[in-house]
Amino acid sequence: MLDIGTISLILLVAMLILLAIGMPLGFASAVLAAGVLLMKFGPDFLFGNFGQGPLNILAQRIYGLLTDYVLISIPLFIFMANLLERSGIAGEMYKSLNVWLSGTRGGIAIVTSIMAVIMAAMSGIIGGEVVLLGLIALPQMLKLGYNQNLAIGTICASGSLGTMIPPSIVLIIYGLITETSIKALFTASFLPGFMLASFFIIYIIITTQLNPEKAPLPEKKPGDPEGREKAALFGSFLLLIASGFSAALFVRALFFTVTGQNAVVEGVEAITFGTPDFVVKFGVALAIFLALIFFVAGRERTATGWSMGKGLVAPIVVIGVVLGSIYGGITGITEAAGMGVIAVGVIAALRGEMSFHLLWDSLKRTLRSTGTIIWVTIGATALAGAYTIAGGPTYIANTIVGAELPTMGIILVMMVIFLFLGAFMDWVGIVLLVMPVFLPIVQRLPVEELGFMGGLDARHVAIWFGVLFTMNMQVSFLSPPFGPAAFYLKSVAPPHITLTDIFRGFLPFIGIQLIALSILLIWPNIVTLFL
Amino acid sequence: MRAIDSFKELLWPSLFVASMAYLIWNFPKFILTFGWANNAITSTYVPAGALEYLSALIVAVSLVMGVRTVRTTSIEQDSETRWDDISLFMGRVAMMLVMLLVSVMFYEVVLRYVFEKPTLWANELSLWIAGFIFLLAGLYAMQQRSHIRIYLLYDIMPRWAQKLSDTVSVALIWAFTVSMIWGGYNEARAKFLRWETFGTAFDPPIPATMKPTVLLIILLVSIQALVNLIEDWNKAPEHHLPVDEAEIEELKHEIADRAKDPAKGA
Repeated sequence: MLDIGTISLILLVAMLILLAIGMPLGFASAVLAAGVLLMKFGPDFLFGNFGQGPLNILAQRIYGLLTDYVLISIPLFIFMANLLERSGIAGEMYKSLNVWLSGTRGGIAIVTSIMAVIMAAMSGIIGGEVVLLGLIALPQMLKLGYNQNLAIGTICASGSLGTMIPPSIVLIIYGLITETSIKALFTASFLPGFMLASFFIIYIIITTQLNPEKAPLPEKKPGDPEGREKAALFGSFLLLIASGFSAALFVRALFFTVTGQNAVVEGVEAITFGTPDFVVKFGVALAIFLALIFFVAGRERTATGWSMGKGLVAPIVVIGVVLGSIYGGITGITEAAGMGVIAVGVIAALRGEMSFHLLWDSLKRTLRSTGTIIWVTIGATALAGAYTIAGGPTYIANTIVGAELPTMGIILVMMVIFLFLGAFMDWVGIVLLVMPVFLPIVQRLPVEELGFMGGLDARHVAIWFGVLFTMNMQVSFLSPPFGPAAFYLKSVAPPHITLTDIFRGFLPFIGIQLIALSILLIWPNIVTLFL
Repeated sequence: MRAIDSFKELLWPSLFVASMAYLIWNFPKFILTFGWANNAITSTYVPAGALEYLSALIVAVSLVMGVRTVRTTSIEQDSETRWDDISLFMGRVAMMLVMLLVSVMFYEVVLRYVFEKPTLWANELSLWIAGFIFLLAGLYAMQQRSHIRIYLLYDIMPRWAQKLSDTVSVALIWAFTVSMIWGGYNEARAKFLRWETFGTAFDPPIPATMKPTVLLIILLVSIQALVNLIEDWNKAPEHHLPVDEAEIEELKHEIADRAKDPAKGA
């Protein structure tokens, strides 16, 4: 019926109108999917016979999405994050980190950043993280007389890292709709994520060294360990953790050897760290660590170190279970998420916090977030299916690529569009509606012209673009007028802190995020370094 | 919350899930009884017996009782009509399914990595359960008015324009639902009556159940959208923030409680 150029234009205008009148995103996409088919095939063909016809494409796309195994990881990661937020794990971790760093200039801000990174590595959601940091760290910083902008910016910028550092829900959805390996996306986003976090910490250190009044030191309590003694305590705590890990891996390898599961079979990949020689290796490591604890560090010092640092153990275990399952080749993403739920649940139960009330409330929130994310995905999948059948993505890619614009110019325009949309729209809407159009264009661009330094492998273009996207979304969480991090913090901040104050505090951190984004653009290899 | 309350909260949803599971697994027997069956079903199944009718009865009873007794808590949007109760009860059912899903996965991972005896059924069962969770979550989210919308312009509109926008939205949701059913009805019906399975070793009837369920739940969601429109018609406009304040309020309390009671946190 209509040609694809006209359909695309009508689609764009109709989408803007429906979003403006506040129609739910997923349903707006879904009805437009039917609209695209109507424009493509005409009413006679579409509604000619009840029960069949091209409209069945929508049902098939939706069914295909719902039976995608990876999608299951989304409710599970959300469930895990909800349990984490409601357990006292975060609060205790904060105390432990604070013990080690409180004497440093800007210590609490640094602790906040580190804590955000650890929480980001446990779950892939923001919001809850910003709220928790706002409840735990903000009162402390303000009480000590920290600069308000520094405190606010640190909490929100670091709290947004959840979607940058694996496991990240943004990357899971991106991988799902672009059919990119999610594990590769996780690996690729490691370095950029930590780079961004370290930029935050470096900024905190520099600014507090230049203006010490921004971060007054806490008064020293007599009897608190200092300097070398603190370092020694931290060392003995690390030894304890290391021996714990070697013991666990030793038992695991021993178990495999005793049961004979690790017998060498031709063509089957050996179990990571599970072959018989690792029994010896981990045994020796364990013996060395134990010897160091008893003869160098001393039992008393180790005990003190343990009591100061034990809040870090639970997070380390959770990260070990989730990321260890994925990278140790034990399970896929989905089962790793399931194991994460179990790990957090068991820890909460051991801490005596697990109750029916906590479980049931976490499930309610999980269900609600799942419903909103999945149904936008359902609508967008239907729309992407209909639009692809109408020939949309090819048409747009041809138009853009045919215009012979400079390659990096196109990428930059896309970044600007992401940043602009990010200020008004949820990330899930952007990734689902815009990515099916943008990614085919990017993949058609000459790969050797991407970036200014180093070269990108053609296979890694989709991964690089995905990480670029998550970096863009980091900015969008902070950018006015709708940066969600600001609203999350506002809801827990003292009343005298206004939204304007909060956004003002974000400015240097948005600058840092843009620097990190330009590094990814200039030197794409930072993404593929570990691939 | 006392133990007896937790029990009450869990009773009907779990009974519903259990009896529904039995019913679905044995549903081909009903297809046979009703005389719609093809040869494959006739050769594999016997007609529905007493147990099947009993399970159908329990499904009906637990559904009615569950809908009548479902209660909301402070973090949830209240229920105003019976239809809200249905969506809320379906949400409770989906919550039970999430717990079931986690248990199935845990069982499989333990069996696979500790005992080296992977099950044949766990992965596909997870897939099957998750499909229902995704769909029911959408119904719950609709009742809770938490589907993602952009309130930028909506919030500054006069109330009559908001009502007009909402009406257009609901009409379009119905347009989508009609389109879906128009295009998908035959396939869903055929797969259901054929009791089409997944074609694997465990062979769950995922196509036979999920295809009709997609259409059914999209229909329920649009009914809920209509109910929301009617319920909210005479309400004063509210301002929407990108965060859920009730939820944060609750979090604040929990953290404050823990700070007061160090024994709980340590």
